[in-house]
Amino acid sequence: MNCITRREFLKRSIFLMSLSFLSNKLFSFEKEMEKELSTEIPYSPEEDVLIPSTCAMCVNFCGIRVRRVDGVIRAIYGNPESPYNKGHLCPKGQAGIFHTYNPYRIKAPLKRTNPKKGINEDPLWKEITWEEAFEEIVSKLKEVKEKDPRGLSFHWSHGKYLLGDQYTKAFCKAFGTPNGIHRTTVCEAARHVADEITWGYHGILPDLDYTKYFINMGANFAEAEQWARWLDRTLMRRIYDEKDLKMVVVEPRLSNSAAKANEWVPIRPGKDVLFLLAMAKELIKNNFIDREFLINYTNAPFLVGGDQKVLKDEKGNPLVWDEIKNKALPYDEAEKISLDKEVIIDGKKYKTSFNLFKDYVLSLREKEIEEETGIPYETIKKIALEFGKNARIGEFIEIEGQKLRYRPVAIYTFRGMIANENGAQAWRLGLILNMLVGSINAVGGLLIHKADPEHKNRKPSKCEYPPSRVDLQESVFFPYATHNVAQQCAYTYQNPEKYGLPYKPQMAIFYATNRILSTSEIEKQFEGYKNLYSVNINIVLDETSQFADIVLPDKTYLEDFHFSPTRWTPDSEHKAIRQEIVNAYNIPYGIFEILWELAKRLGILDKYIEELNKEWKLKEKKFEVGKDYTSKEATAIIWEDTTGKPFEYALKHGLLAKTLDVKKRYLEDLSKFEGKGKPKINFYAEQLVFTKEKVFEIMDKNENVKKVFMEWFEEDENNIKKILEIKFSPLPLKEHSFPTPHKKRDSKEYPFYLITYKRMYRNQTDAHALNPVLNEVAKDSSSNFVLINSKIAKKMGIKDGDEVYVESKIGKVKGKAKLTEGIRPDTVAISYHYGRFAKSFPEYAKKGVLPNFIIEYHPDIISGEDSFNDTKVKIYKA
Amino acid sequence: MARYGLVIDLRKCIGCSSCVAACKLENMVQKGNWWNYVIEYEEGEYPNVKRIFVPMNCMHCENPPCMKACPEKAIYKNDYGVVLIDYSKCKGRRYCIAACPYGVIHYISKEKTFYDNHETPYEKLPIKAKHPLHRKKAGIVEKCTLCWHRIEGALKENKKPGSDYDSTPACVPVCPAGARYFGDLDDPDSTVSKLIREYKAKRLKEEFGTKPQVYYIF
Repeated sequence: MNCITRREFLKRSIFLMSLSFLSNKLFSFEKEMEKELSTEIPYSPEEDVLIPSTCAMCVNFCGIRVRRVDGVIRAIYGNPESPYNKGHLCPKGQAGIFHTYNPYRIKAPLKRTNPKKGINEDPLWKEITWEEAFEEIVSKLKEVKEKDPRGLSFHWSHGKYLLGDQYTKAFCKAFGTPNGIHRTTVCEAARHVADEITWGYHGILPDLDYTKYFINMGANFAEAEQWARWLDRTLMRRIYDEKDLKMVVVEPRLSNSAAKANEWVPIRPGKDVLFLLAMAKELIKNNFIDREFLINYTNAPFLVGGDQKVLKDEKGNPLVWDEIKNKALPYDEAEKISLDKEVIIDGKKYKTSFNLFKDYVLSLREKEIEEETGIPYETIKKIALEFGKNARIGEFIEIEGQKLRYRPVAIYTFRGMIANENGAQAWRLGLILNMLVGSINAVGGLLIHKADPEHKNRKPSKCEYPPSRVDLQESVFFPYATHNVAQQCAYTYQNPEKYGLPYKPQMAIFYATNRILSTSEIEKQFEGYKNLYSVNINIVLDETSQFADIVLPDKTYLEDFHFSPTRWTPDSEHKAIRQEIVNAYNIPYGIFEILWELAKRLGILDKYIEELNKEWKLKEKKFEVGKDYTSKEATAIIWEDTTGKPFEYALKHGLLAKTLDVKKRYLEDLSKFEGKGKPKINFYAEQLVFTKEKVFEIMDKNENVKKVFMEWFEEDENNIKKILEIKFSPLPLKEHSFPTPHKKRDSKEYPFYLITYKRMYRNQTDAHALNPVLNEVAKDSSSNFVLINSKIAKKMGIKDGDEVYVESKIGKVKGKAKLTEGIRPDTVAISYHYGRFAKSFPEYAKKGVLPNFIIEYHPDIISGEDSFNDTKVKIYKA
Repeated sequence: MARYGLVIDLRKCIGCSSCVAACKLENMVQKGNWWNYVIEYEEGEYPNVKRIFVPMNCMHCENPPCMKACPEKAIYKNDYGVVLIDYSKCKGRRYCIAACPYGVIHYISKEKTFYDNHETPYEKLPIKAKHPLHRKKAGIVEKCTLCWHRIEGALKENKKPGSDYDSTPACVPVCPAGARYFGDLDDPDSTVSKLIREYKAKRLKEEFGTKPQVYYIF
């Protein structure tokens, strides 16, 4: 080593010190000293520890180990003990260091001094003490509570996954407001609702360890998705190491996921329903039908009349056709059940629901499908036949000594196919196709999870009117929206009478959510939130906080204890916690303490504690009235009650994993629907017919309701019922491939389809735009682009890097063009979390373009899903 | 003596840059510099188009042109085949950068913080809390060390490098797609040796005679 000795160094130091007064640039003299000596000083920190915890940078909740060196977060590694991510970790999870060490964080409570609220208004924040903040918030809350507690809305998004929505829901209950609002309708709610309508809960996973043919309708696990850290490693292993799985990705843009597929099918945006209907046609024509599954587990054999209702006996039992007795009998009494039958009973025609579906898909014209989807019919047919053959209908496999149904095919989606006006119907069809070949909970098929045949979405909706909630969930407007309707609140705040809301919204609390930014037509969101008094609890001053009256800082997920949510896989589940690793800005209260303090000062603490015990379903260990808790103590209670293990175990390991056996993996959920005496999976969703009747009844009595529908779907009075008939169809229809803008916009004026997609560097948490590591790890991580097909761009004279306008009916945005061969010529794609405009953000965090300004709002009436992929646009050089 | 190297399965790489972040944070590589980067390109025409992601880091060549080019003899190859830079010898002449056919050596022109005009606690860690390989300064060059501090740590503990998460280069176990492998190229039974044989894994720009120790499965 050729470095100077200590003596030499000291000599030089003295010389330098003598010069020091000459220069004020002496600055880090000590630092220089250290550097010169750097090779002599051994690595000798006072502390170098690995603390197990759980990531919250997105919703995969990967197990992490946080390396703390001398009190500083030095690195974040994956936790190999996690059955979910097995040590793997995405860039975002690793960049959590700078999520916490972020100088743009809110460090003290702030109060607005500029009473005017708007996108261009600077709130002119003034720092106030915690005491002042609590006092003002509590006095406002008391005012609202006295007037009408329903006047409070509590919005959370990522907050659900930080503190846990059990806390926020309990707070709402204790306060007396029904308005706790989460964000799933800007993501995948329609899929969940379709699952609930069909089999009574939400959450599906393909059984990839065994799947051989996997059709992925635009679920982009490689760039951003829930379950991504399990999907990516499992798919790559199955496709490339074991060469035992074929993945077909159906989506308009060649995403990173499609880039890894064996086959990319570039479908025209929104036409997935037509694609799957055509697949169904080919499966039926070629007899790739699992009759036994359909008869034993689904209502496909139920007889349906011309009124779309299931034929029932006087006791209300659904009837099927018995082939031996040649008559309609209750399902439980029939000996040999017909699947595919049309009969006349008492002069009326009845068809089994399978037969209805069959006749419908067989009637579809190949040419129309080919023209609308933009995919050669031969390709769809080939995929259908490959899917059908690989389904191995009738085969069994033995695992762990159990003989199990073996159907190694699955159709899967996440947001890709469903973030649109007919999202719930689209995924209903996805489920129906899985049912046709019997792949539901078969080995290698599509696994359903925690099925509940009694789920409320398997029944006619209560269709509330007047609505009880500001998001209109489960009201006549969104009868099956069970995952809240995030984007609707702003419209209701602006004009509660329009929706018949029986009270006036007064105040909102936002916790870890940038609600304003993450929806369609965001300028309308500003208008909605402008006149509400609001409190915002977050780690940075985002766009939504710009509309707040008081802002409170939160701790980050590396600074607080939480009982973390986790993700299951087909063979595992686990419980996990988060730990306080550091407190970068010495923030005294985290969200747990904030809510506790508010409840206490409002005089609702006892009720809050009671509701907490209920929400967390605590049995042995509970929160006790009269006691105060820290977030660590609270986490310990929940951990110990849920796992039965001492909290020390959690502190040491971060998680407790369990392996799932074949019974849990394949049999438990499906057995709830198996054979006689059991309810059935809804191949046919009859409840939608009853719900539609209720909707019509309310609509006929309330002109305002009808007007809302007419506005959403741009239909006149004479047509609106016809449109709603289609929306509430018990079986998916080709019309579900035609959202409002596809029908109403002149294709010459707006020739392009606009689609949005996620990028892992940004989605889920709005502080990511500020994260310097995330901003530089990939080419498009600091800014996004308008993706345009190269040949089309060339024809239009647009070059790579040119500024272009993307214009829809409601406005235009400017972005940088990126030319690619990996997109359909009729489609432009923009990821939807760039182009930030919060006043407090530095320029580097504002790069890119935000398409949400020009995305038209035509919600899915079934699920409340926002319409992120339906807008038609024109593009031109800026 | 073992000879360590990497195998990167390009078929499996999903282009997420997880390895990039892991490398950057583990090795305290400053803003704007890279020890590891993912190159991305398209091949073909719509609809028959492919997107390819190629992670690039120091190839730890058996015959490293950077080493030969360095006038200060600051670049050396250790007993395990890992090419390292002696920061105390480097004078920042950058001949190595010109000589490297892979573009994976970076010059530190000036010290930069991740946030402008703000040093985070991570960046303020005292020198004794940084491994010597992570103590860098302006005016020298830097590149991938194959996380030598991890390998060395394992060897000190008599652990086989690569046998667990913490004795493997940071870019490997973190990869969400399981596309990266680390191991002993001299051991015919190691995973890397087996993969190289099975898939006839290739090295980049072999025509330069550099004999990289990073192999790619195409």
